[in-house]
Amino acid sequence: MDDQGCPRCKTTKYRNPSLKLMVNVCGHTLCENCVEMLFVRGSGNCVQCDTPLRKSNFRVQLFEDPTVDKEVDIRKKVLKIYNKRDFDFPSLREYNDYLEEVEEIVYNLTNNIDVEDTKQRMEQYQRENRDLIQKNKAKLTREQEELEELLLLEQQGNEQRRLDLLQEEKRQLQAKRKSKQALLDELEQSQLPATILLAQHKVRAAQLETQIEQQKQAVKPTTLFSTGINLRQTVSLQAVPKIQEALYHYQPLQVETYGPTVPELEQLGRLGYLNHVRAAMPQDTAGGYSSALACHRAVQDAFSGLFLWKG
Amino acid sequence: MFHNSSQRKHWTFNSEDELEQCRCDANQKFRKKTVESGKPVVSDSLILERHEEDVLFRHYERRLMDFCNAFKPVMPKSVVGTAIMYFRRFYLNNSIMEYHPRIIMLTCAYLSCKVDEFNVSSSQFGGNLLQETPAGQERVLEQILEYELLLIQQLNFHLVVHNPYRPMEGLLIDIKTRYPTLENPETLRKNADDFLTQATMTDAGLLFTPSQIALTAILNSATRAGLSIESYLTECLGLKDKETLSKTYESMRRMKNLLKRYGLPKSDEVNVYKQKLERIHVEFGTSSNNKRKRGYEEDGHVSKEPRLTEEYFTDEDLL
Repeated sequence: MDDQGCPRCKTTKYRNPSLKLMVNVCGHTLCENCVEMLFVRGSGNCVQCDTPLRKSNFRVQLFEDPTVDKEVDIRKKVLKIYNKRDFDFPSLREYNDYLEEVEEIVYNLTNNIDVEDTKQRMEQYQRENRDLIQKNKAKLTREQEELEELLLLEQQGNEQRRLDLLQEEKRQLQAKRKSKQALLDELEQSQLPATILLAQHKVRAAQLETQIEQQKQAVKPTTLFSTGINLRQTVSLQAVPKIQEALYHYQPLQVETYGPTVPELEQLGRLGYLNHVRAAMPQDTAGGYSSALACHRAVQDAFSGLFLWKG
Repeated sequence: MFHNSSQRKHWTFNSEDELEQCRCDANQKFRKKTVESGKPVVSDSLILERHEEDVLFRHYERRLMDFCNAFKPVMPKSVVGTAIMYFRRFYLNNSIMEYHPRIIMLTCAYLSCKVDEFNVSSSQFGGNLLQETPAGQERVLEQILEYELLLIQQLNFHLVVHNPYRPMEGLLIDIKTRYPTLENPETLRKNADDFLTQATMTDAGLLFTPSQIALTAILNSATRAGLSIESYLTECLGLKDKETLSKTYESMRRMKNLLKRYGLPKSDEVNVYKQKLERIHVEFGTSSNNKRKRGYEEDGHVSKEPRLTEEYFTDEDLL
């Protein structure tokens, strides 16, 4: 895989990961850059086998082996001419012979065996079966069209079903709302006690439910989804069991200082501590210093560990 | 804050006995080491006894204090306190026979300058070794750097020391604010300062919290001035119940005893023991030092310049 490269400029996929190899009808590779360079004028000869080539016939190499690309190309061409189908033959044997012949032609052309001879054979066949080829071609295109039509129909069906479902849901909602409204109206106007009215409403609501259920069943006679999953599959609707966890409870930090409580930094001024320390110079305050900081630290140090006795 | 410091957790001990036990263990450890070294000249009389060690320790501690006080630029008190505390902590678990206090004390001072944000360059520090020639200062500095890591490791990397100086300021501020009965609290400062200086030379820092030391200093100063501020304790500090009050007085009494017991070592004793110490270091210390140095050099950490001898500066050179 790594030594896959352009035979002309010797670049490999390893050295240039964005290398794009092209292949033409002769089955010899060239990289995209070389193609651009050699076929500036639209046509030229293959570097390896000297076959005259056109630039427009170059295509990106799909298979690792360029001969496979060549064969695919040839097969496409051959099958355009040899387009008979099994019911054009009176017996299976003859059809198999015909397929065998096609394979042989493809093989010969790919591997350059009796190229001229084979080509002549193809031309002869084309001349002899011109009508049939034309007819089959037309038939093929017609079949193609039919297939597309089928696909379209299927898509439309899907769309229709979706719309139906939506409408159905809407209708059900409306019905429910209506019955609720009816209950309210009755409660407002009727002379009967509310409990009876409620019971009646319940019965009606239950009927409505069953109706909807029946409709639903009528709408969906199939028991399988298109994916093959059973429609009536029971899905556990039980709620996921809740896991009881103890919530994190914040507890304020407790520091054991082994001493009397130290007044808060903010209260030092109010308590009069700051009257006994050197006031901060204006140039000190620029860095965020205040006399309270030093004072607080001194008092903290004075009280820390005052009541700690060992031994 | 002291209350969640390593000083409270690891360096505040229960009693004098516990401290003495640590020092005895250090002494024993060194004795064992000399036996294991298997030198034939070892005799028990050569090795310093515990009380002899203590005399020398106090001698060198005094020298450290003097060195710090003579330091230029002037060293803040907390730096001096930290240096002496390092010195005490270091020799709590090590014998002076193992590491010579002459170099350890300088290393303590050097490290405490760094830790307490008293910025002196190493050349400035070396400049304070007044009796040394520039080359000699260079060598001492090199030695200091060599012992610095050992010191930090022996301090168990607990480098922050809470000195009683700031607590004393805090207490004075508090007295001025909440205890106006006392006319002029500033008069107490001088004696209290002296008390704290003396306390640094004792085990007080290893037994009591800095705030207790500061409070004792202030109370002691007040008693000397004939003032009674006992009511400050009960009213402002909230020492209401008998038990805590008695405990406070008890610890103050113990602290004062510690200070009273302290005495400068006699110079003739010091001289005798010093000779012993030097001999021990010639016998044991240098050999182990050389080994370590060689290890360093093999690792390529230190310059390979050949060293002369360990004994290239004497105590008298320092001041």
